[in-house]
Amino acid sequence: MFGTFYDFDRSFLALDELRRQMDRLWEDFDHGSRGSQAEGNWPRANLADTGAELVLTAEVPGLSEKDLTLTLAQDSLTVKGTRNGKAPDGYSVHRQERNTVQFARTFAFPMAIDPEKTTASVKHGLLTVTLPKAAAVRPRQITVKTS
Amino acid sequence: MNDTQLDKQQQGSRAEAVQQRPAVAPRVDIFENKDEVLLVADMPGVSKEGLNIHLDHEQLTVEGRVLAETAGRLLAREWRPFDFRRSFLVPKGIDAEKVSAELKQGVLYLHLPKSEAVKPRRVPVQAE
Repeated sequence: MFGTFYDFDRSFLALDELRRQMDRLWEDFDHGSRGSQAEGNWPRANLADTGAELVLTAEVPGLSEKDLTLTLAQDSLTVKGTRNGKAPDGYSVHRQERNTVQFARTFAFPMAIDPEKTTASVKHGLLTVTLPKAAAVRPRQITVKTS
Repeated sequence: MNDTQLDKQQQGSRAEAVQQRPAVAPRVDIFENKDEVLLVADMPGVSKEGLNIHLDHEQLTVEGRVLAETAGRLLAREWRPFDFRRSFLVPKGIDAEKVSAELKQGVLYLHLPKSEAVKPRRVPVQAE
């Protein structure tokens, strides 16, 4: 009698096998990654100098304006926030590379900036902070007067 | 090799360069519930227009063009505006017709619904 039950159970192994195949098939062709995602390096940012202002661009996929806290000092900027990488409710996980990151990163600038005129925006997962240089350090043109 | 040949070769290599812009693999999560497989990919800098999803038989390719112009002189660089590209082998039993995608804040959510045949189903018990 138990033998019958055992056989019956075995027929469900086909489903497990399907699941295993699914796990295996998700192997991708090209390996390679976006580099280290250590928390100290999140978000990754570029800093450019356009002359009158400094422009910071940081990768913040999945975050919008309300998820980020920006704190400005005279020559530094702190970006704080949490990126949630949890599985949505009711889903099982096959692969997880997008970790949950809680970050607070401070960028120091090589010159004084004007906190009042600084603007920030987030578009397509990229944070752009435009920081006008303080008047004292802005490059200026000097007209040479003829006597 | 004469000049015409050389020219052709150079043109050829130039065309190649346009086709194969440098690309990196985006980080992905793959989730599954009873109705679908959900692929989530970080693609910062990619807009709807720059996104290209291709499903051919069992091969899924996700591509995103990054349009991030940096003006001025770079003082520090931690990332480059490389495109994203990654290919997967999709398990059998995905309904290719019903695949849908959303792009939110540079994150791609790709829904791959399972076809009816592989979905677990309740077997109705009929009373006599």
